[in-house]
Amino acid sequence: MFRTAEEGARPARLDRDRGLVEAARRDPSHFDALYRKYLAQVYSFAYYELRDHHAAEDATERVFMQALAGLPRFEERVDAFIASRAPLSTAESTDISTFRVWLFRIARNVVANERRRDRRRPVSSLEAAAELAAPDDVVDSAAAHEAIGAAWQAVARLPEDRRRAVILRFVDEMSTAEIAAILGRSEGAVRVLLHRALRSVAEDLASGERSGRGSRLS
Amino acid sequence: MLGGGTRDARRTERYLDGLVAADERRASEVPADADLDPAIRLAARELRGSLTRVHPSFRFEESLAARLSAGATRLKAGLEAEEAVAAGEPGTVASFRNRAGIVVSSLPAAEPAEATQSSAHAHAVWPPAAFRRLPDMSGRRSRPLIVGGVGVGVASAAISIGAVYVAWRHSHPASSRMGRAARAAHGRTGHSGHGRRAGVINGILGVVS
Repeated sequence: MFRTAEEGARPARLDRDRGLVEAARRDPSHFDALYRKYLAQVYSFAYYELRDHHAAEDATERVFMQALAGLPRFEERVDAFIASRAPLSTAESTDISTFRVWLFRIARNVVANERRRDRRRPVSSLEAAAELAAPDDVVDSAAAHEAIGAAWQAVARLPEDRRRAVILRFVDEMSTAEIAAILGRSEGAVRVLLHRALRSVAEDLASGERSGRGSRLS
Repeated sequence: MLGGGTRDARRTERYLDGLVAADERRASEVPADADLDPAIRLAARELRGSLTRVHPSFRFEESLAARLSAGATRLKAGLEAEEAVAAGEPGTVASFRNRAGIVVSSLPAAEPAEATQSSAHAHAVWPPAAFRRLPDMSGRRSRPLIVGGVGVGVASAAISIGAVYVAWRHSHPASSRMGRAARAAHGRTGHSGHGRRAGVINGILGVVS
């Protein structure tokens, strides 16, 4: 039975993944549901950070294997995350997945290790962007490649913490609170990170336009 | 009292929330604070359009699902989720390559052989090019095929169990009528053959009496 924060329940009860997590803890074979639910998000995070499909696959595999093995230790991390938050509104609490936060903390560490281990990044932002643009859209594909490439390059040039915040916000559609928990920062700090990141991207895109590269929205 | 930077950051956050909400209700208009820098709005919309979520290939998805399932089975048995075999330890063996130079042992058993597409077919993307491409497995790091270490241990244990069974079977001759008749026809008793056969088995097992 789920209860609201106003009723004084332990906030961990409000986790939207609690049922799936409990099932997986009772029987690890039920971890599959969590895996399917978060595969694309974890993979996307890894892909945007590492910009290589094979590296992203390896990182994704490590993340889920570590999560499966570490699931018995998950509960106290939930409490730690929840304890750091202000009292939750009902609407806010229904959207919280502390499992997702925990999973992305693992992903952040795995990706950071991967980046440290392998400084070689042979795939450029533009190359990766070309992979993402749909070749079926013949008319728009060139413009789409260019726009996506410009955005990727602008994001790739951001300092690490701003870049991660942008990816978690735009690609994984996380709230400020979730990003703060994953990055180990305050919510205020994450807001400022995102604001400054967008300002940098705006300047980058504007300088690109001045040098002749078009923007999709221009 | 909020500083200017904090106020701007909050405006930006509200705009980003509005962007997501507008997408969810398929609305083109996104409410924005009049004081929000238009350049920030433009950059946010640009990133919203460009940074799409990427889905891995279904082949990878199913392959990892199988590995996780195996890991779950190991966990239920009280073992580690994944067999840790450090590189260079006894038991790690290099990959095999077929005639086309494709790494064979890197492919999980569940994956069919056509996982050897050119690198141009690297992944499936979703959206907009969902499920369009086949994955490239040719450049992947190989997973070691274990033929020593744990594998040898398991194999030798199986051989030992088999040998013990043979020894036990020989020391416990069948008590059926046919068995007794056969032993009588060969003029052998259970005990006379037992010592000789046990010696052979003990020799196989390396037992020193």
